[in-house]
Formats: sequence, C-alpha cells, structure tokens
Amino acid sequence: MNELRQLAKELLGNGTVKVIIGYSEGTTPERAKPFIARTEEDAGKLIFNKYCVNNLAVYLTRKEFKRKGTIGIVAKGCDVKAIVQLIQENQVIKDDVYIIGMNCGGVVSGFGVDDTAVKCNNCKVKTPHLYHTLLGAPVETPAKDDGHLKLIQKLDAMTAEEKWSFWEAEFEKCVKCYACRQACPLCYCEKCIADKSMPRWIESSAHTRGNFAWNIIRAFHLSGRCVGCGECERACPAEIPLSLINRKMGMVAKKEFDYSAGMALDAPTLVGNYDTADREDFIK
Amino acid sequence: MAEELLKGGNAVICEDEKGRGWKRIDSPSEVRINHNEVPSNISYKEFVFSKTEPIFYFKNRKENYELAEAADGNGKIVFLGAKPCDARSVEIMSKVFNWDYKDKFFNEKAERTIVIGVACSYKDEFCFCTSVNINPASPEGSDIFLVPLDEKEYAVRIITEKGKEFISPYLKYLTEGNAARSEEALGKIKWPGKKFEPGKVREWIGNNFEHKLFDEIGSTCLGCGQCAFACPVCHCFDIVDEECSYECGRRMKNWDACQFGLFTLHSSGHNPRDNQNKRYRQRIAHKFKYYADKFGEILCTGCGRCSRGCPVQIDIAQVAAEINSTANRV
Amino acid sequence: MEEKTFEPKITAFVCNWCTYTGADLAGTSRLKYKPNIKMIRVPCTGRIDPVFIIKAFEKGADGVLISGCHPGDCHYNTGNYHARRRWVLFTELLNYIGIDSSRLFFSWVSASEGKKFVDVVTEVTETVRKKGPFIQYHKINKEFVLDE
Repeated sequence: MNELRQLAKELLGNGTVKVIIGYSEGTTPERAKPFIARTEEDAGKLIFNKYCVNNLAVYLTRKEFKRKGTIGIVAKGCDVKAIVQLIQENQVIKDDVYIIGMNCGGVVSGFGVDDTAVKCNNCKVKTPHLYHTLLGAPVETPAKDDGHLKLIQKLDAMTAEEKWSFWEAEFEKCVKCYACRQACPLCYCEKCIADKSMPRWIESSAHTRGNFAWNIIRAFHLSGRCVGCGECERACPAEIPLSLINRKMGMVAKKEFDYSAGMALDAPTLVGNYDTADREDFIK
Repeated sequence: MAEELLKGGNAVICEDEKGRGWKRIDSPSEVRINHNEVPSNISYKEFVFSKTEPIFYFKNRKENYELAEAADGNGKIVFLGAKPCDARSVEIMSKVFNWDYKDKFFNEKAERTIVIGVACSYKDEFCFCTSVNINPASPEGSDIFLVPLDEKEYAVRIITEKGKEFISPYLKYLTEGNAARSEEALGKIKWPGKKFEPGKVREWIGNNFEHKLFDEIGSTCLGCGQCAFACPVCHCFDIVDEECSYECGRRMKNWDACQFGLFTLHSSGHNPRDNQNKRYRQRIAHKFKYYADKFGEILCTGCGRCSRGCPVQIDIAQVAAEINSTANRV
Repeated sequence: MEEKTFEPKITAFVCNWCTYTGADLAGTSRLKYKPNIKMIRVPCTGRIDPVFIIKAFEKGADGVLISGCHPGDCHYNTGNYHARRRWVLFTELLNYIGIDSSRLFFSWVSASEGKKFVDVVTEVTETVRKKGPFIQYHKINKEFVLDE
C-alpha cells in the first residue's frame, strides 16, 4: 500500500499524470470505493486490497477524463483486460493512460461479503499483462472449480423451452435501471440504443418483452468483447446472472473466431474484422 | 397467525427469501417476516407504484381512435413485515401523487394497502433511519404493527382504524397478550446512531448550490440509477407509447430516475443537468430540500438501500454527514 | 383447425443490390412466390442490426429471413462478411436464451437468382408453417392487445 501511495504521490507531483483513478476506503474498511486522486495529498488516501472489486476502466471513457491528458489508473489484471480492449477499440489512446498494475490474488464478489468472486477462480491475469509500473508480489492461489462453466454446461444441455423459462424468470426481475450498462467499462456509447426513441428500438418498460429485448441486445453488443470483470452482475439490483451470458458468448467467440477479449493490444476487434473463411453453413 | 385467511383475493406481499425484493406470495409457507436481517435490495414500492403499468390502450378504428382504460385490480394489498423504514414509504409518496393532480394509479393502490409493520432489530453501518426522524421501534406508517417477542411469537398492535377493520375477522387467531412484554421487547431494540442533521443539509444546499463537493461525488457516480430504483420513496416516472403493431398499442408509465442523462434531456438537444455532478446534486437536493420545502417531509426513510447497493459505494448518509461538517466549518 | 388457418408472417430483410434486385427479377420473370413474406429493403446486409430481428418478432413475425449478396459480391466490398460474423454470434445467443433460432433464415441471393429467391421464400414459408406460430413471443406480445 505504501509503495502505491509513494508512486501515486510521485506521479501526481511530477506531473506525469493529471489524476489517478484508484480506490479509497468506503463506509467500512471491508468496502473499498472508487476514488479520484487529484493532489499529492489525495495520494495518501489510496488503498489496494481484496475488497477493491470495482473495475475502474469504466471511468476512462468518461467525458471529464477522455483526452484530457494522461490518466493514472490502479488496475488489477481483469481491469487491464478492459483497458486493453478499450485501446483495441480506439476508445482510449494508449499514451493517455498510465497503468499502475497490481498483482492480485482475487477479490471478493461484492460489497460487504468475504468470499472470492467466481471470476477469480481460474484467473490467468493475476499479474497484469500490460502495465507501466507493477506493484505487489505475485500471488499464487490454488486453482478452483469454475462455477460459471458448470452452470453454462447445464444450461446448454437444456431444451429450448427450458432455457426460455429459465431466462424468462431471470429477465422478469429486471427493473430497467440499466445499471449493467453504466457499470460496464465497454458500454461506452455516447448514446445507447436503449435510449434512442426515434424510433424506439428497445422498449423502456420493464415488462417481459422489453426486458428480453434489452437483455438480448446488451448481451449481443458485448458478445465476445466482454472481458468478464463481472461488474454488470454486481451492479444489478435484481441479481440477474449476466455473467452466464457474457461468459458463454466469450466461449462462442473463442471457438468460432479464436478471439479472446482484452488480451492483445494489436489484435483486430471481433466484429470490426472478418475472415473470408468464417463459418457459413447456416446460410443457404 | 391469520395467514390462511388472506387468500380471499388479497395480495400478500412479503420479502423474498433471497432478499432480492418483495413478491406476492401464493402460500402461507412463503411468509417471511424479516425483522433482523438486511433489508431487500429493492423496496416494495413497485406494488403501489408499478415499475411498468399501462395507462390506457388505443386502437385505430379508421374513423377514430378507440381508447380503453387499464383495468384496476381489487382486494387488499397487504405488506407483511415492513420495517419502519419501509412502512412510511406509501405515506411519503402519496404527498407528491396528490398535491396537484391526483394520481389515480397510485391512489387506487394506496387505498387498498394494509401495512403490517414490524419492529426492526437489524442495524448496520448503512442504516440511518434515526437521522431522518424515523426509528426502528416506531409504528408510524403501519396499520398493524408487529413486535417480535421471540422466534415464533409476535405482539400485534393495531395502530389505525384501517388496520382494526382489516384484522377484525382474524382476531380469533390472536391471543390476549401482555403489553409489558412487548414494551420490553421494544425497549431492547438498539437504534442506529444519528449521522447527520437533515435540516442543516437542507439549508446548506440552498446556499451552496455550486459547491465543489458535488463535483467530487459526481465524478465517481456511474449514473446507474440503482439507488432510485431500490429506494422506497423515489417516485419519478416516464410516459411512453408502445405499439403492438400498426394499429394498436398502449401508453405506459415506467420508472425513471434523475441519475440518468436522458432524464432531463430536452428535445432541442439541450440538457440542463448535463453531467453526473448535477444529477447527483439533484438527488440529494430533492430528498432533503425540495421535498422538505414543499411537503414538509424528508424524501428518505433511512433504509440505506441506495448505499448498500451502490456499485461505487456512494453512501448517502456519509454525503449528508459531509455536508453537515462542511456547513459547520463555514 | 388453427393449423389450417395459420398463415405464417415472415419478415425479410434484404439487401438493395442483390436480393432485392433478385426478387425484382422474380417478379419481372413472372415467377410466383408466397405472399407471406414482407420485404424490407436495406442498403446492405451489414446494415441489419440484430435489433431489427428482435423487433420483427415483437411485432408478430413467425419467421425472419435475411438475404444479401454472395460473399465477395458485396456492393460495399465487405458488408456481408461483417454481417456473417455477427449472425454466428447472434444465432448462438438466441439459442442460449432459448429463442428458437431455426425461425431465423439466412441466404445469399444474387441479382440474377430470381429462381433461387422463389425457392428460398417457398422453403422458409413452408418450414415456418410446419413450425406453427411463434408462441413464445406471441405470448409476451399478448398483453399489448386491447381485445381478443
């Protein structure tokens, strides 16, 4: 923690970065909250521990930070994936961000709980794959069961009707607050399709039809691009298991197009690219 | 207790077992009275102020449009196990739905509401009911008030006329109790500490509308609206038309929230609240100033749902306390 | 009895340069095709946002046909390649959610393939006819209808 504060102080002091997006203590020590350090004094408030669940990359595309000089960001491996994806999609300029990479041994699944998030079970980026400075010692954690994978396999084995009723029950709870979208670092559109009203593509009512439309389109827009940070699911007040959809679509992208989100800076984007040999057995 | 009899077309609303929200129960076995655990993610307001509901239906009959009003339900809406912070929700919201235009949809449901409150023995770092003049042992807002005596037993207090009328057919399920015992149980409840002075927040916002404190908070706020949707008293809505095909459709009333950029966007393209700082200020100001100015009531019950659920840990009580200390400094 | 009277509603999104022209050719060649299909012309298959498909189902379509230029023939060079990639993802997503993606049809029909267009439309119509109405979506649409 001290090295983080020291580094932050230096970076802010010598003007390398304008602000640092990091974490500070929340209402209780077991809850860390996003914090924007603007001065050297602020740097002393920065923390990093297993309660730092937020993916701060979501702030990089905000108007007040975008193209406003170099932004420092405290990032775990999974957050770095989101940053890489943003750079890949030309939403963030590589030189505009200073990544303080954190070695991470897994974070909790939400605020006020003490378990480990499912996404951390088989984490391959405990040491971030892109950073300017790396802090902390590498952490070894025992490999655990991939909870999501099992559920996805179970869903895959269901009939269409069973799948429909499973998702209908889940989507029914949606209150259309769009917290999933706001919390997602990759939902950066200036105007979301759900907000377009001429014509209104996605009904804003929280009834089954509107909820299906929203959840399908949200999932589609993120399919393959999702880096699996799980922020959407965590932000969802109705606790819809969005990770199950995102993860599944990631698996499809990997299988069909050998694409993994947020891993390589210079890789072409998934749907912004094509291959003449792409599958077309479903087209007459 | 009188659960079995509540089946006469009445809706009994309980907190669901996962603590996600409230649901209409189908069988007595689903009854859950939560008096000592964390409040559900989402409050029960959706049963009086629906997250989405039709206002009317329309159909193109060539020569004119046929309109039909949305059907009303009947039967009581019974909220079973409302903590004092929930119990006041309908009462507080009814002010805004009645001051000028009388909102038929809200009133129709609010009239059918029976709130069975329960004394609350839960307390965590986000609870702040005492700061907004509610306390965990208060029957305010409830028609019938339950005081948990032990695991299975509740003392039942009838608070309002409405409650008396409602419970009279079921009195045979109750036994005469000892008032001292329930007093004792109430006395044992630990109140959350007072975190801020709402009156000061109100005053301060009036004089410090452009204060940089809002910029600091607004810069981490994601604008997800979780706070407003989980809140027991946030009541903003949006009206949209939805069509089933070319010739028919319906007009819907949906929840909306001041934290959304779209909320104040004018058709001209101008947006008076164009960044999150202003939107967050609106939230605080509406809760502690505008509503209080207009209706003499704080638009907050201190349940702490917004803070517990906020994905970026913005704690409304902390913000209000910070405003208090800023106000004291100057 | 219902099966007898069931006429499937099919929405087709077709590209301006190939399939639409192909359909036109079918017309000028006096070929007949099923009237169940409602065609919507878009500049290119790359223009077809999956939200169109969802909207079609919402508006009561029992099946959706998407058709455009053969790979390599796109008027805009690569529009259909991009679209093809999206369809793979989209159909997989629909399958996962439990929406019957076999109600969704894709084809490449060029401007000279009037006959193929007729065949595709016939096949799509008959397949959907056999499947019956898209009950799942009709069910969630129902609450919008005033009477019936």
